[in-house]
Amino acid sequence: MPALDVILNALISGVLLGGMLALTALGLSIILGVMRLVNLAHGEFLVAGAYAGLFLLQWTGIDPLAGLALIGLVLALIGYPIHRFLLVPLAGKGPEASMMTMFGLSIILQNLFILLFSADTRAIDRSYATVPLELGPISVPQIFVIGFVISVVLIVAVHLLIARSRFGRDLRASADQPQAAAMIGINVSRVHAFTFCLGAACAGIGGTLIGVALSFTPTSGASYLLTDFAVIVLGGLGNVLGTLVGGIVLGVLQSIGGLTLGDGYRDLVGLVLFLAMLSVRPQGFLGHRA
Amino acid sequence: MTVLTSQSTPQRTISIRSPAIRIVIACIAFAALLAAPIVLPTYFVEIGFKLLIYIVLAEAWNLLAGYGGLVSLGTSSFFGLGAYVTVGLINQAGAGPLQALAASALAGTAVAIVMSRGLFRLRGLYFTVGTLALAEALRLFVINVPWFGGATGLFVTVDLPEIAALFRYATLLLALAALVMALATGSRFSVLLRAVRDDEDAASQVGVRAFRIKLAAFIVASALIASAGGLQAIKLGAIEPYGSFGLQWSVDPLAIVIIGGLGMRFGAMVGAVFFVAIGELLADYPELHVAITGVTLILLIRFAPRGICGLAEAALRRRGAAPQEAHP
Amino acid sequence: MTAAAHSAPLLDAAGLGKRYGGVVANDGIDIRLDKGRVLGVIGPNGAGKSTLIGLLGGAIAPSAGRIRFEGDDITALPASERARRGIGRTYQIPRPFLDMTVAENLAVGQFSLSPFISAATATAERRDILERCGLADATDVKARDLPLLRRKRLEVARALALKPKLLLLDEVGAGLIDSEVSELIALIRSLQDGERSIIIIEHVIRIVKECCEDLVVINFGKVLTKGPTAEVLASDEVSAVYLGTSHGGAANASPIAAPSTTADPAPSASATAAPLLALEGVSAGYGQARVIHDLSLSVMPGQVVGILGTNGAGKTTLAHVISRALPVTAGRIRFAGDDITALPPHAAAARGIAHCMEGRRIFASLSVEENLLVSARNVATAQCKERLERIYALFPVLAERRHAAGTSISGGQQQALAIGRALMAKPRLVIFDEISLGLAPVMMDRLYEALAELKREGLTMLVVEQDVERALDVADVAHIINKGRITLSGSAAVVRADERLRHLYFGIED
Repeated sequence: MPALDVILNALISGVLLGGMLALTALGLSIILGVMRLVNLAHGEFLVAGAYAGLFLLQWTGIDPLAGLALIGLVLALIGYPIHRFLLVPLAGKGPEASMMTMFGLSIILQNLFILLFSADTRAIDRSYATVPLELGPISVPQIFVIGFVISVVLIVAVHLLIARSRFGRDLRASADQPQAAAMIGINVSRVHAFTFCLGAACAGIGGTLIGVALSFTPTSGASYLLTDFAVIVLGGLGNVLGTLVGGIVLGVLQSIGGLTLGDGYRDLVGLVLFLAMLSVRPQGFLGHRA
Repeated sequence: MTVLTSQSTPQRTISIRSPAIRIVIACIAFAALLAAPIVLPTYFVEIGFKLLIYIVLAEAWNLLAGYGGLVSLGTSSFFGLGAYVTVGLINQAGAGPLQALAASALAGTAVAIVMSRGLFRLRGLYFTVGTLALAEALRLFVINVPWFGGATGLFVTVDLPEIAALFRYATLLLALAALVMALATGSRFSVLLRAVRDDEDAASQVGVRAFRIKLAAFIVASALIASAGGLQAIKLGAIEPYGSFGLQWSVDPLAIVIIGGLGMRFGAMVGAVFFVAIGELLADYPELHVAITGVTLILLIRFAPRGICGLAEAALRRRGAAPQEAHP
Repeated sequence: MTAAAHSAPLLDAAGLGKRYGGVVANDGIDIRLDKGRVLGVIGPNGAGKSTLIGLLGGAIAPSAGRIRFEGDDITALPASERARRGIGRTYQIPRPFLDMTVAENLAVGQFSLSPFISAATATAERRDILERCGLADATDVKARDLPLLRRKRLEVARALALKPKLLLLDEVGAGLIDSEVSELIALIRSLQDGERSIIIIEHVIRIVKECCEDLVVINFGKVLTKGPTAEVLASDEVSAVYLGTSHGGAANASPIAAPSTTADPAPSASATAAPLLALEGVSAGYGQARVIHDLSLSVMPGQVVGILGTNGAGKTTLAHVISRALPVTAGRIRFAGDDITALPPHAAAARGIAHCMEGRRIFASLSVEENLLVSARNVATAQCKERLERIYALFPVLAERRHAAGTSISGGQQQALAIGRALMAKPRLVIFDEISLGLAPVMMDRLYEALAELKREGLTMLVVEQDVERALDVADVAHIINKGRITLSGSAAVVRADERLRHLYFGIED
């Protein structure tokens, strides 16, 4: 049995990391909720965000945290043509076609990353990633706290955007009944384009944070995709604030799993939980909006 | 697909007239395949083996996705399972290849049954994600749990059969797959399976036990995939989690079937030939090969959703329309 | 109501209840049905009728109560097991297996119940059922290629392939014209063989009157009254909640709305004015199927134009073409003088075309008020408020439920909301597509009163409707569409008197 402060540390870093996981899952969640698209290239968007942070630092010396907005913008700009040229033409061909197209994109991107950047494991090297923040017995890397705060702020902002703004109203209407939304004057394809870009931007920012806090490889995407699905299932589809809850729950459970079983089991805990959750309460996924 | 005697539905078959002739053609083809290793150079036998494995995987995937609407990204979980079971039995219990392969089929069946309860609650896209999670979970399990040799994997400790023998095993497996597919897609079962694919709730309302129907298809596919995984493991002589549970084993069958034609009887075969040919051409650039597969996928989904077989069928119909009308 | 001593009733449902969160759809419903009987279930929209079918068929799990079938408790059985015991149901909105042929659709039930039935027997059974249901000519047609009306027949045929002891028919008569209703009644009667029991949920009173021996009236999820059909229909209580007090008893399913029938001032604009909407030789369809052929019509400002026709005539397709939800294959569409043929639907909406769609299409994740506000595009807040007040004045019930989720209100209220949503855009032209479909007569009256008021205010309207009387009451000009072409046009009075209207609707041979 590990010492109390070790447990406490693990729990706290679980919460903080979970907040960041929630941000990485946010993009997947809104794209799924609004566009009914399972974005199987979501993991690659995360990895792209991490590379963007890495190269921003290497080439220009701009700190990735200072450049988060820029990275989000870059990912959104990458997302736009993907939506415009790959997804728009598939409108009306069923959800599988879009999902498989994103799957095709995911394997293209993955191998593109390997060809361009090599298969090496990378990490964005910043002092705040290693220097701990200490408070009594608790000691967590500074980035965990910074990343958590940024994630919570972004998630709450996206929640307010969807729940309160006029655009959010259009977005919810488009998610419910795309055809009816178009007929009352909503430019659904623009709403979808914006949603996709927003999702890509969130993924990119989340990816950068993960890239600083942990490490990544060109093929990390697949495992993050699954972790993010677990977050969405735990938090409930289409529920932005639920994503935060789901992320934190998963983060804590992963920490507990890593602590009790060994570090290699962190991801496995998440997946087993995900599969168990699916078999017990798929309503979390399916319930409403059949 | 002439299940109902009152009519024939020619739209999905490139029909070779009567069933008897088909059986004869199939038997000759398999006899030729069994004899092939004697005459063919080793290089072609190697490629042929790869092709056979891919066809089996693709047939299984086509059964699930094309006929059952169960789009799976979990092929690798059963492929890896078969590999580990086969190697484990050969090493630990001294099993022969055929026994080990049969056991891995049983293991595939067992895991399919266990997982079905959770997976089948998921519909459509969510099923896909669930299968992907299953594959990843199994891989992490094998890496972390100490019995399976961790990330290094296991070696087959006995002498490996020759490639010619492996090729024959693969041929037998394909024959089995073809038989199963013929039964599953040309029988009353296929009517029920397609009903479940089209609308599961409505199917239940006319008495279809959707769960059992899906489970039957899932079991058959999983058993075939697990055997293929076992055979591949025997050929390699060594297995490790990233290889056996690798995502490519989920991706490739999917790509093959979409390239060949989803839900088309010959989709798997045609797609596999195309896929393996491209793979051989780009053998020195594996990343490029995968990326090109991705591009092909995207293009076909957009411009030819029924794959090469769909294109061929449309072309045949266009050209054959007039002469066919001349026939009574 | 004691069951015969020698045998238990075929179906005995006691205390059935279903809640969705806080909403109670069914509450303590008791239904007993003996072998060979036909029971009708009526009630206003949102009364919980379709929920009841779901509970009996097994698609919905009850939150309370139990169901016995042939003496066995089947409450916990899933839909498939109930079907195997002999309960067949239809869906209100048909759900055939789209990628299978009509024959295969029937074969699903056959092969599922008796996998080893001989092919010859199965084929003969299918042929018999399809002939009865009028689908014999469509045996090898893919269900996807069937029009709505034939899909409804397929629903019945598919349920019959189970050889059900209990058949649940959910609004199979909705949207049918008189001649089709007669065919349906004949079909239902032919199914009454003394063995088979049937439960019919229906708004078309004729079917209820002519087919059902007993009647249950449901309101607010509870049984309001039950008894022999004639008695129940004659009761004042029933006509008050269901038929609307203005129409005594259950005389006719097409009553005449009171207002605006007196004089006929026909406030149509002068003939010299430019039309607000003009279709010139428009053709359109879905995939291979052309639904509308070379169709031309125009709508003057302030005019109310009725589009009439049977099911599958192309009315809704026409509505979609005008609101630009469906591309045209030929012809052009002008609105206020501009060519809008190539505009996407949201741009057409921005120009002032509002489309109140068939099936209501309320946004579930928006509140009632948000559903209204969302269609007021680029409008200042103060003005939004003003428009809201106007809608609330027209439909006070919406003001009461303004914070409720859009789809948590009853069907009639949702229809009012859909109309309100169309008006919130302050449109220059509103298309009302089948707003009366599936509504209780009393609710239809209320909606058409609202339309009459809008007409007095000078709103230009296109009213697509299969209920001829109601449409002709409100319209200045009417067009009859048949097989995608206009076959008759004229002022409402002229069309009403024309023989061809009757030919079309009452199925008299040409």
